[in-house]
Amino acid sequence: MTEARKKRITHGLMAAWSGSIIVFLYLPILCVVLASFSRQRYFRFPVPAFDTKWYDRAFSSLTVRDLVSTSLSIALLVALISVILAFFGALAFARFDWRGRRIYQRLVLLPIFFPQAVLGLALLIWFSSVGIIPDWRTAVIAHLVWIVPIVTLVISIQAYSFDPALEEAAFDLGATRWQTLKEVTLPVLWPGVVSGGLFAFLLSWGNFPLSLFTTGADQTVPEWLYAKMVSGYTPLVPTLGALTTSGAALVLILGYGSWMLLRRRKSQRASP
Amino acid sequence: MADPILRLSQLSKRFGQFAAVKDIDLAIDEGEFFTIVGPSGSGKTTLIRMLAGLEEPSGGEILLRGQRINETPANRRPTCMVFQSLALFPHRSVGQNIEFPLKMRGVPPMQRRERADELLRLLRLPEDYYGKQVSQCSGGERQRIALARALAFDPEILFFDEPLSAIDFRLRKTLEKELKDLHRETGKTFIYITHSLEEAMVMSDRIGIMRAGELVQVGAPDEIYSRPANRFVSEFMGEVNVLEVKPNGAGLHCPALGATLQGPGGQGGPGDQGDFAGGYLVIRPEYLRFLGPGETAENQIEGVLYNEYALGSRIQYQVRVGEAVFLVEKLREQRYEGQLDDRVVIGWEARDSVLAPE
Repeated sequence: MTEARKKRITHGLMAAWSGSIIVFLYLPILCVVLASFSRQRYFRFPVPAFDTKWYDRAFSSLTVRDLVSTSLSIALLVALISVILAFFGALAFARFDWRGRRIYQRLVLLPIFFPQAVLGLALLIWFSSVGIIPDWRTAVIAHLVWIVPIVTLVISIQAYSFDPALEEAAFDLGATRWQTLKEVTLPVLWPGVVSGGLFAFLLSWGNFPLSLFTTGADQTVPEWLYAKMVSGYTPLVPTLGALTTSGAALVLILGYGSWMLLRRRKSQRASP
Repeated sequence: MADPILRLSQLSKRFGQFAAVKDIDLAIDEGEFFTIVGPSGSGKTTLIRMLAGLEEPSGGEILLRGQRINETPANRRPTCMVFQSLALFPHRSVGQNIEFPLKMRGVPPMQRRERADELLRLLRLPEDYYGKQVSQCSGGERQRIALARALAFDPEILFFDEPLSAIDFRLRKTLEKELKDLHRETGKTFIYITHSLEEAMVMSDRIGIMRAGELVQVGAPDEIYSRPANRFVSEFMGEVNVLEVKPNGAGLHCPALGATLQGPGGQGGPGDQGDFAGGYLVIRPEYLRFLGPGETAENQIEGVLYNEYALGSRIQYQVRVGEAVFLVEKLREQRYEGQLDDRVVIGWEARDSVLAPE
């Protein structure tokens, strides 16, 4: 066998391998999308005939509106609170040296690895023992327990590469503490804050196990999807599934797109 | 003489049990270029950080024009520091970096821009650099931007925390001179720290040598060069020949050579060593010379030429005398013509050597 041919085969195998991984990752989602366009009332694959009527139903349904607004409220609130907490947490990790910092760092990150069902159950028990009736607001707290550590991790990666002399220089050049935070620390850590916020929003938006235990009478989109799969299936399930997934994708694309746009505008302004 | 702009009295800093700076007394005059030189860990960075207000002293006083400023935070001191990393704000353009102190002070944009353009000119940066990203500038340009930003603050004293240490040799030599020119142009007081005595020599009016938290010697570059207070200072200056000696009546006895040498002498001529009770005799390599047949010097030693090193305009020779190693330096035009392993006689005049008591 010639060298060139060996190389071609290797390349072919590698392409096939990468391709099959992509298919493995995305095919299930694609199936849901296809099913959502089905004319049938029952979940069948392959789809015999296509229709968009379930989308019309979804958009006019009050249930769907309630579900989406609950999920959205939780996700937005979680993103906001977790970014604020994680920002200062990350600064404390990366920028200050204090006793017990390393052990604290590990303890704070640990909830990421708890089985979420156990975490949800634990929180539910805790809520009822202190007499809180669970609703979507308790779900916000539950999501935060799991998401704040993740966002802290994301922002601290940015904070670790932050030169502490930048803050000192700002301070030395006459800035107050507040001006230093506003004019230097926050703008420099901004990329980390934005991606941390996106992480928080998307993880909360798609979370099922924590919501299941802690939303009480309220229901999020993933909860509803699961409940309807278990009993009372309606063709709205794949439709709403496809919609939430594209919603998440849209958030990502918008976030990334506006970031790229901002950067391009900045470099254009820099070199006229 | 006018009052000093900055006076340190018994200034000290401890971190737990460790004393980083020990009871330093120093007065720095208005308009002076003062450099503190010391190896890493000598406390020089801690010292300058205390002066800038980024570290609080554990004891003693810092007086700016007679006013105690120990507790004044950095943002309310009329001083400004150029950091080792330069600390340019990566999210701001060159112009916005320079304008930063003015913006913090609430100067309106038009005036800020005017001043920034002025400073770009002063530091010989192209005017269209105003909108350029800092990340697109070269190392030398960044130095100038950091300087411009510090000057925009219009400080009474400018501090420098080894800003040239990460720059390659050739550019560093240029920037050292530029900095000295800028010192003349602005007339401001510059306090600079570095680990390179050579760098300090180029720029400074006075130099303070620091070791283990203490100032070992303070003086003009010439003074430090020709009269190092001790072996540490003399070795800091670069490669020198150091011989342990003890006065013995006839001169200085050197056990390593088994010979009696003539030292620079006290008031009473060559035989008299003043109150020198033993220590080191220091001879710079350029003061040593090879003695041809019939030539003599006040101190002469016979050895073997072991190796030679070309150092640009000069050539350095290693001569071994028993266990002792001597370095001899000659200009390229006056190079020694001979072979390695030649037996050679080297010599120096007594007045060209220096005594260091410790």
